[in-house]
Amino acid sequence: MRRSLCLAVIVVLYVASVPWYREAGEAPGYWLGLPDWVAVSVLCYVAVAVLNAIAWLSTEVPDELDAEALAAAEKRGDR
Amino acid sequence: MNFGVWGVVSLVVYLVALVGVAEIAKRAKQDHSPTDHFLAGRSLGSFVLFLTLYATAYSGNSLLGYPGRAYRDGYSFVMATGFMMSIVVVFHLLVPKLRPLAVHYQFVTPGDYLRVRFGGRWARELRGAIGVLMSLALANFLLAQLKAMGDVAHLVTGGRIPYELGVVGLALVILFYETRGGMRAVAWTDAAQGIAMLIGLSALLAWLLAESGGLEAITLAVAERAPDKVAVPSRTVAVNWFSTIILMGTASVLYPQAIQRIFAAESGRALKRSFAGMTFMPLATTLVVTLIGVASIARFDITDAVDTDGVVPMLLADWGAAGGFATAAALVVFLGALSAIMSTADSCLLSLGSLLSRDLLGREGSDEAATLLGKRLAAGILLATIPFALARDLTLWRLIELKMELLIQCVPAFLIALHWSRLKTGPVLLGVLVGTAFSVTMTFSDHARIGGVHIGVIGCLLNSALAVLGSLLVSDSDEGTTSGAAVAAQR
Repeated sequence: MRRSLCLAVIVVLYVASVPWYREAGEAPGYWLGLPDWVAVSVLCYVAVAVLNAIAWLSTEVPDELDAEALAAAEKRGDR
Repeated sequence: MNFGVWGVVSLVVYLVALVGVAEIAKRAKQDHSPTDHFLAGRSLGSFVLFLTLYATAYSGNSLLGYPGRAYRDGYSFVMATGFMMSIVVVFHLLVPKLRPLAVHYQFVTPGDYLRVRFGGRWARELRGAIGVLMSLALANFLLAQLKAMGDVAHLVTGGRIPYELGVVGLALVILFYETRGGMRAVAWTDAAQGIAMLIGLSALLAWLLAESGGLEAITLAVAERAPDKVAVPSRTVAVNWFSTIILMGTASVLYPQAIQRIFAAESGRALKRSFAGMTFMPLATTLVVTLIGVASIARFDITDAVDTDGVVPMLLADWGAAGGFATAAALVVFLGALSAIMSTADSCLLSLGSLLSRDLLGREGSDEAATLLGKRLAAGILLATIPFALARDLTLWRLIELKMELLIQCVPAFLIALHWSRLKTGPVLLGVLVGTAFSVTMTFSDHARIGGVHIGVIGCLLNSALAVLGSLLVSDSDEGTTSGAAVAAQR
């Protein structure tokens, strides 16, 4: 659940990171030493990094197929 | 800057150290099987795995090509931080499903997954098609690294080593340590190379910020000299930004060398910890090289696109000109850059050897002869690539894009196949062929993008639609058997 929520918010952050909602060619204001639209992108990517790290640490990466999956595989026949 | 004798001495010491690591790695070998040579006996722990993933992902393209692109495009190239991070996000679709299958079926190459996943009459052809695409992408990547190695060797020695000798000499060193030590040598050298790259880049940015009066001063100087490079980008650039995130994010997870690191990890736990760390590296690397490229706009006036790949060497020349500590520090950065390039090249070479012998020539055995064939094929490919590296008419960025447009056509065979058991062999093969033909034809007819969207992304959508719709229409009896692995992967 926590992993799915993190991944969903990451998608939203990616959409927000691209300045499609700004007027093209507009002279920017400056924030954190960067053009404001760049600062927004960078902050979005910082948030993505934090959430993605949480998502990875919440992810189960098994080293073996579980018994049910193994039985299903054997039933269908492997190459 | 003229590093001269110190540059040559540093380079020689560095290369001797690599050869030493190869010898230690060779002694650590447990047997002569392909699993031990190409996957280090599946023994890579979190720390080495993290550094080898990092050093392999960030290459000559990252250190020379990306600043060059940032110099040409300005701040809109901050998109690179996003797309490098998207790779670690998209790995969520691959790793949890692929890892248990890899351990259970003892995969060595990506083709081993295709072998157990796809059955029926077109299975061999599908493995061949994917193998060819991956080999071409790897050879392309290797070519970009060889070009970058030649440049850096020339610069680090103050011109004492010509570009051509740098390409050939360093390629032979890589071939030596990769052949002797296999994945262990590659992973261990990657770990050291990753640390050198990180230190080098951080030092260069710190110098640049101090010398230019801080980030705001750099931004204002760029705005005065080239206002379009700080202005809000056009709608086409915004579309291209999304397209690049999709292209790079999905295609990069299908690098054979990245997939093989999933196989080489000692455990699933080591993998997830490595990826958790990797997600921060675009901020420490890609964002840094983007800022370096943007800062160069205010310092240099470069008109030829190919020459913009040289902005980092030009900055280092400025830095090193002060002499003393500055020259030594610039030398460290140069060696860090060379490390990044060589660490990617060695991984490509190792993957190519295994891919060609197992996936294309069908040598699936676990004996010493299969390992030897992989080594010989890698050597052959490296020697065949060198003449192309000596021609210098493409920017590094264009080489990256060409490679990605091929790799992204493998998406249905891996990312969709792992999550949807009804995906069938024939439709996937048809999709790969149509998507690739479309992408290559459009690229060579000068339509690399449509409205900012990469042609490879459009080709992949076409490819995926054919694979999915075809699978819904083809009956099981028409297709042949579906592998048990396809069923197991869905659980």
